[in-house]
Amino acid sequence: MKKFDVLSTRLKIAKKKANKNSLNNDKKNTSSLGAALKLSTEMVAAVFVGSIIGFILDNWFDSKPWLTIIFFFVGAAAGILNVIRSAKLMQKNND
Amino acid sequence: MSTNPMHQFIVYRIGPEISLGNIDISFTNASLFMMISALAIISVFFAGTRRKAVIPTKIQLLTELSYTLVSKMISDTAGSKAKPYFPFIFSLFMFVLFCNMLGMLPYSFTVTSHIIVTFALAAIIFIGVTIIGFVNHGVGYLKLFIPSGVPVVLLPIIVIIEMISYLARPVSLSVRLFANMMAGHTMLKVFGGFVISLGIIGGWLPLSFTVALTGLEILIAFLQAYVFAILTCIYLNDALNLNH
Repeated sequence: MKKFDVLSTRLKIAKKKANKNSLNNDKKNTSSLGAALKLSTEMVAAVFVGSIIGFILDNWFDSKPWLTIIFFFVGAAAGILNVIRSAKLMQKNND
Repeated sequence: MSTNPMHQFIVYRIGPEISLGNIDISFTNASLFMMISALAIISVFFAGTRRKAVIPTKIQLLTELSYTLVSKMISDTAGSKAKPYFPFIFSLFMFVLFCNMLGMLPYSFTVTSHIIVTFALAAIIFIGVTIIGFVNHGVGYLKLFIPSGVPVVLLPIIVIIEMISYLARPVSLSVRLFANMMAGHTMLKVFGGFVISLGIIGGWLPLSFTVALTGLEILIAFLQAYVFAILTCIYLNDALNLNH
């Protein structure tokens, strides 16, 4: 009976170790690669959306090209905000 | 076989031409591969859940692992409130993953390398998440656009910026998946073309590149499906918990 107890505790410890290692490695690899692929599009998409909104508003108000220019920069600001936000999220996940 | 690297992305009709009003809804190779991936998912999960053995077979292990992966992803990023949305996120993840992976087979067609497919998925997510947000929080969901601790003078600009960054979500979600898949497959085809044009003497170097790139592409196919699903969870978290 004692043998079984010893074995089960050893099994538990080994399992815990294996679990910990695989989890850590997994998280690091996928999240850092995912991060690299993620950040670039975040920036571009916001600039793109901002410019499109500016273009549509320009057509509405007949004010070419001013609103497109303004919304391009607003979109860039939104893109930077998005990048900072997702970078913060990654940092939180890494800790 | 054409050596044009973009030739693999051409959508063509299979069978008769069907149109609904002015819209062409004929069955294409894209629809064929979407159906194949849906059927593949169903058959894998049917085979995996048919016999629930204590010591799992390989296919049962696969289904159980994918279940744990997605359920852990949801509980980590969106919390316990998001549990009812598990079926949607799981099917989304599986569909994107299978479409990406089927695209890795030679002579197949990568559905996710077309922006209309990924954008349709992203738009469904975007509209759904917005509705969930308004249902759960009412008009209070608009607080998402007003970050706390901003001076009143800056508020108009900040609100516009926040709105653009909210509207940019479906675009960045769809462009990321589409661009990664398309760039990867184009690159594979370009290197494959080098092998043919350099012939038996010089072709070995690009061939080895192609082999390495195939491995990388399989990694990216998995990773992009994972990123797509995890971002859906993050957006869902915003809609459910509103902790901006």
